[in-house]
Amino acid sequence: MTNIWAIVRKEWNGYFASPIGYVVVGMYAIVFGYFYTVGLSWFIRQSMQAPQMGGGSVNVNQQMIRYVFLNSTVIFLFVVPLITMRTYAEEKRSGTIELLMTSPVTDFQIVMGKFLGAMSLYMAMLAITLVHMAVLFKYGSPEWKPIASGYLGLVLLGGCFVSVGLFFSSLTKNQIVAGMFTFAVLLLLWVIDWVGSFSGPSVERITSYLSLTGHVEDFLRGIVDTMHVVYYLSFIAFGLFLTAKAVDSERWRG
Amino acid sequence: MIEVQHLTKRYGRVTAVDDVTFRVERGEILGFLGPNGAGKTTTMRVLTGYLPATSGRAIVAGFDVFDQPLEAKRRTGYLPETPPLYPEMTVREYLGFVAQIKGVPAGERKGRVDASMEKARVTDMAARHCGKLSKGYRQRVGLAQALIHNPDVLILDEPTAGLDPKQIIETRELIKHLAGDHTVILSTHILPEVAQTCQRVVIINRGRVVAVDTPANLTRRLGGAQTMYVQVDGASENAPAALQRIAGITRIAEIDRQDGIVGYEVDSEAGRDLRGEIARVVVTSGWGLLELRPVRMSLEDIFLQLTTEEHSGEAAIQ
Repeated sequence: MTNIWAIVRKEWNGYFASPIGYVVVGMYAIVFGYFYTVGLSWFIRQSMQAPQMGGGSVNVNQQMIRYVFLNSTVIFLFVVPLITMRTYAEEKRSGTIELLMTSPVTDFQIVMGKFLGAMSLYMAMLAITLVHMAVLFKYGSPEWKPIASGYLGLVLLGGCFVSVGLFFSSLTKNQIVAGMFTFAVLLLLWVIDWVGSFSGPSVERITSYLSLTGHVEDFLRGIVDTMHVVYYLSFIAFGLFLTAKAVDSERWRG
Repeated sequence: MIEVQHLTKRYGRVTAVDDVTFRVERGEILGFLGPNGAGKTTTMRVLTGYLPATSGRAIVAGFDVFDQPLEAKRRTGYLPETPPLYPEMTVREYLGFVAQIKGVPAGERKGRVDASMEKARVTDMAARHCGKLSKGYRQRVGLAQALIHNPDVLILDEPTAGLDPKQIIETRELIKHLAGDHTVILSTHILPEVAQTCQRVVIINRGRVVAVDTPANLTRRLGGAQTMYVQVDGASENAPAALQRIAGITRIAEIDRQDGIVGYEVDSEAGRDLRGEIARVVVTSGWGLLELRPVRMSLEDIFLQLTTEEHSGEAAIQ
Protein backbone atom coordinates (compact mmCIF):
# COMPACT_ATOMS: atom_id res chain seq x y z
CA MET A 1 0.00 0.00 0.00
CA THR A 2 2.86 2.37 0.87
CA ASN A 3 4.38 1.57 -2.51
CA ILE A 4 1.22 2.39 -4.42
CA TRP A 5 0.78 5.57 -2.45
CA ALA A 6 4.41 6.59 -3.09
CA ILE A 7 3.91 6.17 -6.83
CA VAL A 8 0.57 7.99 -6.80
CA ARG A 9 2.23 10.94 -5.11
CA LYS A 10 5.15 10.87 -7.52
CA GLU A 11 2.78 10.87 -10.49
CA TRP A 12 0.67 13.66 -9.04
CA ASN A 13 3.73 15.81 -8.32
CA GLY A 14 5.02 15.02 -11.80
CA TYR A 15 1.87 16.45 -13.38
CA PHE A 16 2.20 19.69 -11.50
CA ALA A 17 5.98 20.01 -11.77
CA SER A 18 5.50 20.33 -15.51
CA PRO A 19 2.92 22.61 -17.13
CA ILE A 20 0.83 19.61 -18.15
CA GLY A 21 -1.26 19.43 -14.99
CA TYR A 22 -2.13 23.12 -15.05
CA VAL A 23 -2.77 23.18 -18.80
CA VAL A 24 -5.04 20.14 -18.70
CA VAL A 25 -7.07 21.33 -15.71
CA GLY A 26 -7.22 24.89 -17.02
CA MET A 27 -8.31 23.89 -20.51
CA TYR A 28 -10.94 21.60 -19.09
CA ALA A 29 -12.26 24.40 -16.90
CA ILE A 30 -12.55 26.76 -19.86
CA VAL A 31 -14.28 24.31 -22.20
CA PHE A 32 -16.55 22.96 -19.51
CA GLY A 33 -17.42 26.52 -18.54
CA TYR A 34 -18.45 27.21 -22.12
CA PHE A 35 -20.64 24.10 -22.30
CA TYR A 36 -22.18 25.01 -18.98
CA THR A 37 -22.96 28.57 -20.00
CA VAL A 38 -24.55 27.49 -23.26
CA GLY A 39 -26.51 24.75 -21.51
CA LEU A 40 -27.71 27.12 -18.84
CA SER A 41 -28.81 29.84 -21.28
CA TRP A 42 -30.67 27.29 -23.32
CA PHE A 43 -32.34 25.90 -20.25
CA ILE A 44 -33.38 29.33 -19.01
CA ARG A 45 -34.98 30.16 -22.34
CA GLN A 46 -36.78 26.84 -22.33
CA SER A 47 -38.10 27.30 -18.81
CA MET A 48 -39.45 30.75 -19.72
CA GLN A 49 -41.19 29.43 -22.81
CA ALA A 50 -42.56 26.27 -21.24
CA PRO A 51 -45.54 27.79 -19.38
CA GLN A 52 -46.58 29.83 -22.45
CA MET A 53 -46.47 26.71 -24.62
CA GLY A 54 -48.69 25.03 -22.08
CA GLY A 55 -46.01 22.46 -21.25
CA GLY A 56 -45.42 21.03 -17.82
CA SER A 57 -42.63 21.82 -15.45
CA VAL A 58 -39.02 21.76 -16.54
CA ASN A 59 -36.34 19.69 -14.89
CA VAL A 60 -32.85 21.07 -14.56
CA ASN A 61 -31.37 17.63 -14.05
CA GLN A 62 -32.81 16.06 -17.14
CA GLN A 63 -32.78 19.03 -19.43
CA MET A 64 -29.54 20.69 -18.61
CA ILE A 65 -27.03 18.94 -16.32
CA ARG A 66 -27.35 15.68 -18.17
CA TYR A 67 -26.41 17.25 -21.50
CA VAL A 68 -23.62 19.35 -20.09
CA PHE A 69 -22.04 16.24 -18.58
CA LEU A 70 -22.52 14.26 -21.76
CA ASN A 71 -20.87 16.98 -23.83
CA SER A 72 -18.03 17.29 -21.39
CA THR A 73 -17.07 13.65 -21.92
CA VAL A 74 -15.84 14.76 -25.37
CA ILE A 75 -13.22 16.89 -23.62
CA PHE A 76 -11.92 13.84 -21.81
CA LEU A 77 -11.50 12.10 -25.12
CA PHE A 78 -8.87 14.69 -25.97
CA VAL A 79 -7.45 15.33 -22.54
CA VAL A 80 -6.94 11.83 -21.15
CA PRO A 81 -4.41 10.80 -23.83
CA LEU A 82 -2.42 13.87 -22.82
CA ILE A 83 -2.48 12.79 -19.20
CA THR A 84 -1.56 9.17 -19.74
CA MET A 85 0.87 9.35 -22.64
CA ARG A 86 3.88 10.05 -20.48
CA THR A 87 3.19 7.56 -17.66
CA TYR A 88 5.29 4.67 -18.93
CA ALA A 89 6.78 6.07 -22.13
CA GLU A 90 8.71 8.77 -20.32
CA GLU A 91 10.06 6.38 -17.69
CA LYS A 92 11.21 4.05 -20.40
CA ARG A 93 12.86 6.80 -22.37
CA SER A 94 14.73 8.25 -19.41
CA GLY A 95 15.60 4.89 -17.85
CA THR A 96 13.82 5.54 -14.55
CA ILE A 97 11.70 2.46 -15.20
CA GLU A 98 14.83 0.54 -14.24
CA LEU A 99 14.63 2.08 -10.78
CA LEU A 100 10.99 1.07 -10.34
CA MET A 101 11.54 -2.42 -11.65
CA THR A 102 14.58 -3.12 -9.50
CA SER A 103 12.81 -1.90 -6.36
CA PRO A 104 10.84 -4.23 -4.12
CA VAL A 105 7.61 -3.20 -5.83
CA THR A 106 5.38 -5.50 -7.86
CA ASP A 107 4.32 -4.72 -11.43
CA PHE A 108 0.75 -4.54 -10.16
CA GLN A 109 1.68 -1.88 -7.60
CA ILE A 110 3.38 0.19 -10.30
CA VAL A 111 0.34 -0.07 -12.56
CA MET A 112 -2.04 0.79 -9.72
CA GLY A 113 0.11 3.72 -8.65
CA LYS A 114 0.14 5.13 -12.14
CA PHE A 115 -3.57 4.48 -12.63
CA LEU A 116 -4.55 6.19 -9.40
CA GLY A 117 -2.11 9.01 -10.11
CA ALA A 118 -3.75 9.71 -13.46
CA MET A 119 -7.20 9.27 -11.92
CA SER A 120 -6.44 11.84 -9.26
CA LEU A 121 -5.68 14.41 -11.94
CA TYR A 122 -8.87 13.38 -13.76
CA MET A 123 -10.85 13.83 -10.58
CA ALA A 124 -9.22 17.19 -9.99
CA MET A 125 -10.70 18.22 -13.33
CA LEU A 126 -14.11 16.91 -12.33
CA ALA A 127 -13.83 18.67 -8.99
CA ILE A 128 -13.79 22.00 -10.79
CA THR A 129 -17.29 21.32 -12.06
CA LEU A 130 -18.56 21.13 -8.48
CA VAL A 131 -18.36 24.91 -8.50
CA HIS A 132 -20.76 25.04 -11.44
CA MET A 133 -23.12 22.65 -9.67
CA ALA A 134 -22.97 24.77 -6.53
CA VAL A 135 -24.23 27.73 -8.54
CA LEU A 136 -27.22 25.68 -9.68
CA PHE A 137 -27.98 24.66 -6.11
CA LYS A 138 -27.77 28.26 -4.97
CA TYR A 139 -30.24 29.61 -7.52
CA GLY A 140 -32.32 26.56 -8.28
CA SER A 141 -33.31 23.28 -6.78
CA PRO A 142 -31.77 20.40 -8.73
CA GLU A 143 -31.92 16.91 -7.30
CA TRP A 144 -28.55 15.77 -5.98
CA LYS A 145 -28.98 12.06 -6.67
CA PRO A 146 -28.83 12.16 -10.48
CA ILE A 147 -25.84 14.49 -10.16
CA ALA A 148 -24.05 12.07 -7.86
CA SER A 149 -24.76 9.15 -10.19
CA GLY A 150 -23.58 11.30 -13.09
CA TYR A 151 -20.27 11.90 -11.36
CA LEU A 152 -19.97 8.20 -10.63
CA GLY A 153 -20.51 7.47 -14.33
CA LEU A 154 -17.92 10.03 -15.35
CA VAL A 155 -15.35 8.64 -12.91
CA LEU A 156 -15.90 5.11 -14.23
CA LEU A 157 -15.73 6.32 -17.82
CA GLY A 158 -12.52 8.18 -17.02
CA GLY A 159 -11.09 5.02 -15.47
CA CYS A 160 -11.61 3.23 -18.79
CA PHE A 161 -9.95 6.04 -20.71
CA VAL A 162 -6.99 6.05 -18.34
CA SER A 163 -6.55 2.27 -18.48
CA VAL A 164 -6.44 2.41 -22.30
CA GLY A 165 -3.93 5.25 -22.07
CA LEU A 166 -1.69 3.40 -19.65
CA PHE A 167 -1.69 0.36 -21.86
CA PHE A 168 -0.51 2.25 -24.94
CA SER A 169 2.03 4.18 -22.93
CA SER A 170 3.49 0.91 -21.70
CA LEU A 171 4.08 -0.25 -25.26
CA THR A 172 6.38 2.52 -26.44
CA LYS A 173 9.13 4.92 -25.45
CA ASN A 174 7.51 7.63 -27.52
CA GLN A 175 4.90 9.79 -25.81
CA ILE A 176 3.38 11.04 -29.05
CA VAL A 177 2.87 7.52 -30.35
CA ALA A 178 1.30 6.51 -27.04
CA GLY A 179 -1.00 9.55 -27.10
CA MET A 180 -2.10 9.06 -30.70
CA PHE A 181 -2.88 5.38 -30.24
CA THR A 182 -4.85 6.13 -27.10
CA PHE A 183 -6.82 8.83 -28.83
CA ALA A 184 -7.54 6.69 -31.88
CA VAL A 185 -8.72 3.72 -29.83
CA LEU A 186 -10.86 5.84 -27.52
CA LEU A 187 -12.43 7.53 -30.51
CA LEU A 188 -13.19 4.17 -32.11
CA LEU A 189 -14.74 2.82 -28.91
CA TRP A 190 -16.71 6.03 -28.72
CA VAL A 191 -18.34 5.68 -32.10
CA ILE A 192 -18.35 1.90 -32.46
CA ASP A 193 -22.14 1.79 -32.10
CA TRP A 194 -22.56 3.76 -35.35
CA VAL A 195 -21.71 0.64 -37.25
CA GLY A 196 -24.41 -1.25 -35.41
CA SER A 197 -27.22 0.86 -36.80
CA PHE A 198 -26.70 -0.52 -40.30
CA SER A 199 -25.57 -4.03 -39.53
CA GLY A 200 -28.53 -5.84 -38.16
CA PRO A 201 -29.75 -6.36 -34.62
CA SER A 202 -27.12 -8.85 -33.37
CA VAL A 203 -24.17 -6.65 -34.38
CA GLU A 204 -25.96 -3.67 -32.96
CA ARG A 205 -26.29 -5.35 -29.60
CA ILE A 206 -22.60 -6.13 -29.49
CA THR A 207 -21.40 -2.75 -30.67
CA SER A 208 -23.69 -0.83 -28.39
CA TYR A 209 -22.45 -2.95 -25.51
CA LEU A 210 -18.85 -2.16 -26.40
CA SER A 211 -19.47 1.54 -26.84
CA LEU A 212 -17.92 3.44 -23.94
CA THR A 213 -20.40 6.30 -24.04
CA GLY A 214 -23.50 4.19 -24.37
CA HIS A 215 -23.01 3.02 -20.81
CA VAL A 216 -22.62 6.45 -19.32
CA GLU A 217 -26.02 7.73 -20.43
CA ASP A 218 -27.97 5.85 -17.78
CA PHE A 219 -25.71 7.23 -15.06
CA LEU A 220 -26.40 10.74 -16.29
CA ARG A 221 -30.14 10.08 -16.17
CA GLY A 222 -29.74 9.06 -12.57
CA ILE A 223 -29.77 5.32 -13.01
CA VAL A 224 -27.02 3.24 -11.48
CA ASP A 225 -27.34 -0.07 -13.27
CA THR A 226 -25.05 -2.86 -12.12
CA MET A 227 -24.64 -3.96 -15.73
CA HIS A 228 -22.91 -0.69 -16.53
CA VAL A 229 -20.86 -0.72 -13.35
CA VAL A 230 -19.68 -4.22 -14.15
CA TYR A 231 -18.92 -3.21 -17.72
CA TYR A 232 -16.75 -0.30 -16.63
CA LEU A 233 -14.99 -2.11 -13.81
CA SER A 234 -14.16 -5.09 -15.98
CA PHE A 235 -12.97 -2.77 -18.75
CA ILE A 236 -10.64 -1.02 -16.28
CA ALA A 237 -9.41 -4.29 -14.79
CA PHE A 238 -8.73 -5.70 -18.23
CA GLY A 239 -6.84 -2.58 -19.30
CA LEU A 240 -4.67 -2.64 -16.18
CA PHE A 241 -4.08 -6.35 -16.56
CA LEU A 242 -2.89 -5.87 -20.14
CA THR A 243 -0.64 -3.03 -19.04
CA ALA A 244 0.98 -5.14 -16.33
CA LYS A 245 1.46 -7.95 -18.83
CA ALA A 246 2.93 -5.60 -21.42
CA VAL A 247 5.45 -4.35 -18.88
CA ASP A 248 6.32 -7.87 -17.85
CA SER A 249 6.66 -9.12 -21.42
CA GLU A 250 9.11 -6.32 -22.13
CA ARG A 251 11.46 -7.95 -19.64
CA TRP A 252 11.41 -11.21 -21.48
CA ARG A 253 11.96 -9.59 -24.82
CA GLY A 254 14.75 -7.52 -23.29
CA MET B 1 26.66 -13.25 -0.76
CA ILE B 2 26.17 -13.35 -4.51
CA GLU B 3 26.18 -16.56 -6.40
CA VAL B 4 25.78 -16.79 -10.14
CA GLN B 5 25.48 -20.24 -11.65
CA HIS B 6 25.56 -20.99 -15.36
CA LEU B 7 23.75 -17.81 -16.18
CA THR B 8 22.71 -17.41 -19.80
CA LYS B 9 20.72 -14.60 -21.34
CA ARG B 10 19.64 -14.57 -24.95
CA TYR B 11 17.90 -11.79 -26.82
CA GLY B 12 16.29 -13.59 -29.70
CA ARG B 13 19.23 -15.23 -31.43
CA VAL B 14 21.87 -13.03 -29.81
CA THR B 15 23.51 -14.50 -26.74
CA ALA B 16 24.44 -11.61 -24.48
CA VAL B 17 25.59 -13.67 -21.50
CA ASP B 18 26.78 -17.20 -21.99
CA ASP B 19 27.10 -19.65 -19.09
CA VAL B 20 28.55 -17.21 -16.58
CA THR B 21 29.44 -18.55 -13.14
CA PHE B 22 31.04 -16.67 -10.27
CA ARG B 23 30.71 -15.96 -6.55
CA VAL B 24 31.19 -12.89 -4.46
CA GLU B 25 31.91 -13.25 -0.76
CA ARG B 26 30.44 -10.99 1.91
CA GLY B 27 32.19 -7.64 2.14
CA GLU B 28 34.14 -8.12 -1.03
CA ILE B 29 34.47 -5.73 -3.98
CA LEU B 30 34.29 -7.56 -7.25
CA GLY B 31 35.31 -5.84 -10.46
CA PHE B 32 33.43 -6.76 -13.54
CA LEU B 33 35.68 -6.01 -16.42
CA GLY B 34 35.11 -6.22 -20.11
CA PRO B 35 34.98 -4.26 -23.32
CA ASN B 36 31.74 -2.47 -24.24
CA GLY B 37 29.06 -4.94 -25.22
CA ALA B 38 30.67 -7.81 -23.33
CA GLY B 39 27.54 -8.52 -21.30
CA LYS B 40 28.37 -6.64 -18.09
CA THR B 41 25.18 -4.60 -18.02
CA THR B 42 23.04 -7.58 -18.94
CA THR B 43 24.53 -9.66 -16.11
CA MET B 44 23.90 -6.85 -13.67
CA ARG B 45 20.35 -6.44 -14.88
CA VAL B 46 19.72 -10.10 -14.23
CA LEU B 47 21.23 -9.79 -10.75
CA THR B 48 18.98 -6.85 -9.92
CA GLY B 49 15.88 -8.63 -11.16
CA TYR B 50 15.32 -6.21 -14.03
CA LEU B 51 15.69 -8.96 -16.61
CA PRO B 52 14.97 -12.65 -16.21
CA ALA B 53 17.73 -15.05 -17.21
CA THR B 54 17.17 -17.44 -20.08
CA SER B 55 18.72 -20.19 -17.97
CA GLY B 56 20.86 -20.51 -14.89
CA ARG B 57 20.45 -19.12 -11.40
CA ALA B 58 21.43 -15.99 -9.56
CA ILE B 59 21.26 -15.81 -5.77
CA VAL B 60 21.64 -12.45 -4.10
CA ALA B 61 21.86 -12.17 -0.32
CA GLY B 62 20.47 -15.67 -0.02
CA PHE B 63 17.44 -15.15 -2.26
CA ASP B 64 16.97 -16.36 -5.79
CA VAL B 65 16.34 -13.26 -7.91
CA PHE B 66 13.77 -15.08 -9.98
CA ASP B 67 11.86 -17.01 -7.33
CA GLN B 68 11.95 -14.42 -4.56
CA PRO B 69 12.48 -11.16 -6.42
CA LEU B 70 11.08 -8.87 -3.74
CA GLU B 71 13.30 -10.26 -1.01
CA ALA B 72 16.37 -10.04 -3.23
CA LYS B 73 15.50 -6.52 -4.39
CA ARG B 74 15.01 -5.35 -0.82
CA ARG B 75 18.66 -6.19 -0.18
CA THR B 76 20.12 -4.81 -3.38
CA GLY B 77 21.13 -1.28 -4.29
CA TYR B 78 21.58 -0.65 -7.96
CA LEU B 79 23.13 2.18 -9.90
CA PRO B 80 22.30 1.66 -13.58
CA GLU B 81 24.49 2.98 -16.36
CA THR B 82 22.44 6.17 -16.56
CA PRO B 83 21.37 7.29 -13.08
CA PRO B 84 17.57 6.90 -12.96
CA LEU B 85 16.66 10.43 -11.88
CA TYR B 86 13.35 12.25 -12.17
CA PRO B 87 14.32 15.68 -13.51
CA GLU B 88 11.38 17.48 -11.90
CA MET B 89 12.18 16.34 -8.36
CA THR B 90 14.70 17.93 -6.06
CA VAL B 91 17.48 15.68 -4.82
CA ARG B 92 15.85 15.42 -1.40
CA GLU B 93 12.40 14.65 -2.82
CA TYR B 94 13.91 12.10 -5.15
CA LEU B 95 15.79 10.28 -2.41
CA GLY B 96 12.68 10.41 -0.23
CA PHE B 97 10.69 8.75 -2.99
CA VAL B 98 13.33 6.08 -3.53
CA ALA B 99 13.48 5.41 0.22
CA GLN B 100 9.73 4.90 0.16
CA ILE B 101 9.66 2.41 -2.70
CA LYS B 102 12.71 0.59 -1.35
CA GLY B 103 10.71 -0.07 1.78
CA VAL B 104 12.51 2.13 4.31
CA PRO B 105 10.10 2.56 7.26
CA ALA B 106 8.55 6.03 7.48
CA GLY B 107 10.31 6.94 10.70
CA GLU B 108 13.78 6.21 9.35
CA ARG B 109 13.38 7.84 5.97
CA LYS B 110 14.67 11.28 6.78
CA GLY B 111 17.70 9.87 8.55
CA ARG B 112 18.50 7.53 5.67
CA VAL B 113 18.13 10.32 3.11
CA ASP B 114 20.51 12.53 5.05
CA ALA B 115 22.99 9.74 5.64
CA SER B 116 23.17 8.68 2.03
CA MET B 117 23.44 12.28 0.82
CA GLU B 118 26.30 12.65 3.26
CA LYS B 119 28.01 9.50 2.01
CA ALA B 120 27.68 10.39 -1.64
CA ARG B 121 28.58 14.05 -0.87
CA VAL B 122 25.51 15.60 -2.43
CA THR B 123 24.19 17.34 0.70
CA ASP B 124 24.88 20.78 -0.77
CA MET B 125 22.64 19.91 -3.74
CA ALA B 126 19.68 18.73 -1.63
CA ALA B 127 17.34 21.47 -2.86
CA ARG B 128 18.47 21.38 -6.49
CA HIS B 129 16.27 19.77 -9.14
CA CYS B 130 17.72 16.54 -10.46
CA GLY B 131 17.33 17.79 -14.04
CA LYS B 132 19.67 20.68 -13.31
CA LEU B 133 22.57 18.67 -11.91
CA SER B 134 25.92 18.28 -13.64
CA LYS B 135 26.94 14.85 -14.87
CA GLY B 136 29.15 14.28 -11.83
CA TYR B 137 26.39 15.11 -9.39
CA ARG B 138 23.87 12.99 -11.26
CA GLN B 139 26.19 10.06 -10.87
CA ARG B 140 26.59 10.74 -7.18
CA VAL B 141 22.86 11.16 -6.58
CA GLY B 142 22.53 7.83 -8.38
CA LEU B 143 24.97 6.38 -5.87
CA ALA B 144 23.08 7.94 -2.95
CA GLN B 145 19.92 6.34 -4.33
CA ALA B 146 21.59 2.93 -4.38
CA LEU B 147 22.69 3.33 -0.75
CA ILE B 148 19.41 4.63 0.61
CA HIS B 149 18.06 1.41 2.11
CA ASN B 150 21.46 0.33 3.39
CA PRO B 151 21.48 -2.77 1.16
CA ASP B 152 23.67 -5.82 1.71
CA VAL B 153 24.59 -5.86 -1.94
CA LEU B 154 25.53 -2.93 -4.15
CA ILE B 155 25.55 -3.31 -7.90
CA LEU B 156 27.17 -0.38 -9.64
CA ASP B 157 27.23 -0.16 -13.41
CA GLU B 158 30.19 2.03 -14.37
CA PRO B 159 30.00 4.23 -11.28
CA THR B 160 32.83 6.50 -12.42
CA ALA B 161 31.65 7.07 -15.99
CA GLY B 162 31.48 10.75 -16.82
CA LEU B 163 33.24 11.98 -13.69
CA ASP B 164 36.29 14.24 -13.67
CA PRO B 165 39.58 12.82 -12.32
CA LYS B 166 39.11 14.25 -8.83
CA GLN B 167 35.58 12.87 -8.58
CA ILE B 168 36.78 9.52 -9.87
CA ILE B 169 39.28 9.27 -7.04
CA GLU B 170 36.65 10.32 -4.49
CA THR B 171 34.15 7.81 -5.81
CA ARG B 172 36.69 5.00 -5.71
CA GLU B 173 37.54 5.90 -2.12
CA LEU B 174 33.86 5.90 -1.26
CA ILE B 175 33.37 2.47 -2.82
CA LYS B 176 36.36 1.11 -0.89
CA HIS B 177 34.81 2.45 2.29
CA LEU B 178 31.54 0.74 1.50
CA ALA B 179 33.13 -2.69 1.26
CA GLY B 180 32.91 -4.60 4.50
CA ASP B 181 29.41 -3.38 5.32
CA HIS B 182 28.27 -4.01 1.78
CA THR B 183 29.17 -6.49 -0.88
CA VAL B 184 29.94 -4.63 -4.06
CA ILE B 185 29.96 -5.54 -7.72
CA LEU B 186 31.14 -2.78 -10.00
CA SER B 187 31.53 -2.89 -13.72
CA THR B 188 33.99 -0.87 -15.67
CA HIS B 189 36.07 -0.91 -18.76
CA ILE B 190 38.79 1.12 -17.10
CA LEU B 191 41.50 -1.23 -15.93
CA PRO B 192 43.38 0.79 -13.33
CA GLU B 193 40.06 1.23 -11.57
CA VAL B 194 39.87 -2.49 -10.99
CA ALA B 195 43.47 -2.72 -9.84
CA GLN B 196 42.87 0.09 -7.36
CA THR B 197 39.47 -0.74 -5.93
CA CYS B 198 38.70 -4.41 -6.35
CA GLN B 199 39.76 -7.46 -4.45
CA ARG B 200 38.78 -9.76 -7.26
CA VAL B 201 38.20 -9.39 -10.95
CA VAL B 202 35.91 -11.17 -13.34
CA ILE B 203 36.96 -10.55 -16.89
CA ILE B 204 34.13 -11.04 -19.29
CA ASN B 205 34.24 -10.93 -23.06
CA ARG B 206 31.50 -11.66 -25.56
CA GLY B 207 29.28 -12.91 -22.77
CA ARG B 208 31.77 -15.40 -21.34
CA VAL B 209 33.93 -15.30 -18.27
CA VAL B 210 37.53 -15.49 -19.42
CA ALA B 211 39.23 -15.09 -16.03
CA VAL B 212 38.39 -14.75 -12.34
CA ASP B 213 41.17 -13.84 -9.94
CA THR B 214 42.74 -11.11 -7.84
CA PRO B 215 44.33 -8.32 -9.85
CA ALA B 216 47.77 -9.29 -8.47
CA ASN B 217 47.35 -12.97 -9.29
CA LEU B 218 46.18 -12.19 -12.75
CA THR B 219 49.27 -10.13 -13.36
CA ARG B 220 51.46 -12.91 -12.01
CA ARG B 221 49.68 -15.78 -13.66
CA LEU B 222 49.54 -14.23 -17.05
CA GLY B 223 52.96 -12.66 -16.79
CA GLY B 224 54.33 -15.99 -18.05
CA ALA B 225 57.62 -14.96 -19.54
CA GLN B 226 59.42 -12.17 -17.72
CA THR B 227 60.35 -9.15 -19.71
CA MET B 228 63.28 -6.86 -18.97
CA TYR B 229 64.13 -3.50 -20.39
CA VAL B 230 67.87 -2.89 -20.90
CA GLN B 231 69.32 0.40 -22.03
CA VAL B 232 73.00 0.49 -22.99
CA ASP B 233 75.37 3.19 -24.22
CA GLY B 234 77.95 2.61 -26.95
CA ALA B 235 76.85 -0.88 -27.79
CA SER B 236 78.27 -2.47 -30.93
CA GLU B 237 76.18 -4.12 -33.61
CA ASN B 238 76.66 -7.56 -32.09
CA ALA B 239 75.12 -6.58 -28.75
CA PRO B 240 71.88 -8.56 -29.30
CA ALA B 241 73.85 -11.61 -30.25
CA ALA B 242 76.03 -11.25 -27.14
CA LEU B 243 72.97 -11.02 -24.88
CA GLN B 244 71.27 -13.87 -26.65
CA ARG B 245 74.11 -16.16 -25.54
CA ILE B 246 72.98 -15.84 -21.91
CA ALA B 247 71.21 -19.06 -20.99
CA GLY B 248 67.46 -18.60 -20.47
CA ILE B 249 66.93 -15.67 -22.76
CA THR B 250 64.26 -16.35 -25.31
CA ARG B 251 63.91 -13.14 -27.27
CA ILE B 252 65.63 -9.83 -27.76
CA ALA B 253 64.14 -6.88 -29.57
CA GLU B 254 65.51 -3.42 -30.10
CA ILE B 255 62.79 -0.95 -29.20
CA ASP B 256 64.48 2.42 -29.26
CA ARG B 257 67.74 4.01 -30.40
CA GLN B 258 68.91 7.57 -29.95
CA ASP B 259 72.44 9.08 -30.13
CA GLY B 260 74.12 5.73 -29.70
CA ILE B 261 71.95 4.78 -26.73
CA VAL B 262 69.99 1.64 -27.50
CA GLY B 263 67.09 0.13 -25.62
CA TYR B 264 66.31 -3.60 -25.82
CA GLU B 265 63.41 -5.61 -24.57
CA VAL B 266 64.61 -8.95 -23.32
CA ASP B 267 62.31 -11.88 -22.61
CA SER B 268 63.52 -14.61 -20.32
CA GLU B 269 62.06 -17.90 -19.23
CA ALA B 270 59.56 -17.65 -16.42
CA GLY B 271 60.89 -17.83 -12.90
CA ARG B 272 64.52 -16.96 -13.72
CA ASP B 273 65.99 -13.68 -12.70
CA LEU B 274 68.68 -12.89 -15.24
CA ARG B 275 69.32 -9.29 -14.29
CA GLY B 276 72.75 -10.07 -12.82
CA GLU B 277 73.80 -12.01 -15.90
CA ILE B 278 72.66 -9.28 -18.23
CA ALA B 279 74.47 -6.60 -16.25
CA ARG B 280 77.68 -8.63 -16.23
CA VAL B 281 77.61 -9.21 -20.00
CA VAL B 282 76.96 -5.54 -20.69
CA VAL B 283 79.73 -4.32 -18.40
CA THR B 284 82.37 -6.86 -19.47
CA SER B 285 81.69 -5.94 -23.09
CA GLY B 286 82.66 -2.39 -22.24
CA TRP B 287 79.27 -0.77 -22.83
CA GLY B 288 77.61 1.58 -20.43
CA LEU B 289 74.63 0.13 -18.56
CA LEU B 290 72.15 2.99 -18.28
CA GLU B 291 69.00 1.17 -17.26
CA LEU B 292 67.93 -2.33 -16.38
CA ARG B 293 64.42 -2.95 -15.11
CA PRO B 294 61.74 -5.60 -15.28
CA VAL B 295 58.76 -4.70 -17.44
CA ARG B 296 55.64 -5.70 -15.49
CA MET B 297 52.77 -6.81 -17.55
CA SER B 298 49.97 -4.37 -16.79
CA LEU B 299 46.37 -5.32 -16.41
CA GLU B 300 45.86 -3.68 -19.75
CA ASP B 301 48.14 -6.20 -21.43
CA ILE B 302 46.47 -9.07 -19.63
CA PHE B 303 43.11 -7.81 -20.59
CA LEU B 304 44.05 -7.44 -24.23
CA GLN B 305 45.70 -10.81 -24.20
CA LEU B 306 42.66 -12.52 -22.71
CA THR B 307 40.07 -10.80 -24.80
CA THR B 308 41.93 -11.12 -28.08
CA GLU B 309 42.86 -14.75 -27.42
CA GLU B 310 39.22 -15.49 -27.01
CA HIS B 311 38.50 -13.58 -30.14
CA SER B 312 41.01 -15.41 -32.31
CA GLY B 313 39.80 -18.70 -30.85
CA GLU B 314 36.27 -17.99 -31.97
CA ALA B 315 37.41 -16.78 -35.34
CA ALA B 316 39.17 -20.12 -35.83
CA ILE B 317 35.96 -22.01 -35.05
CA GLN B 318 34.02 -20.00 -37.57
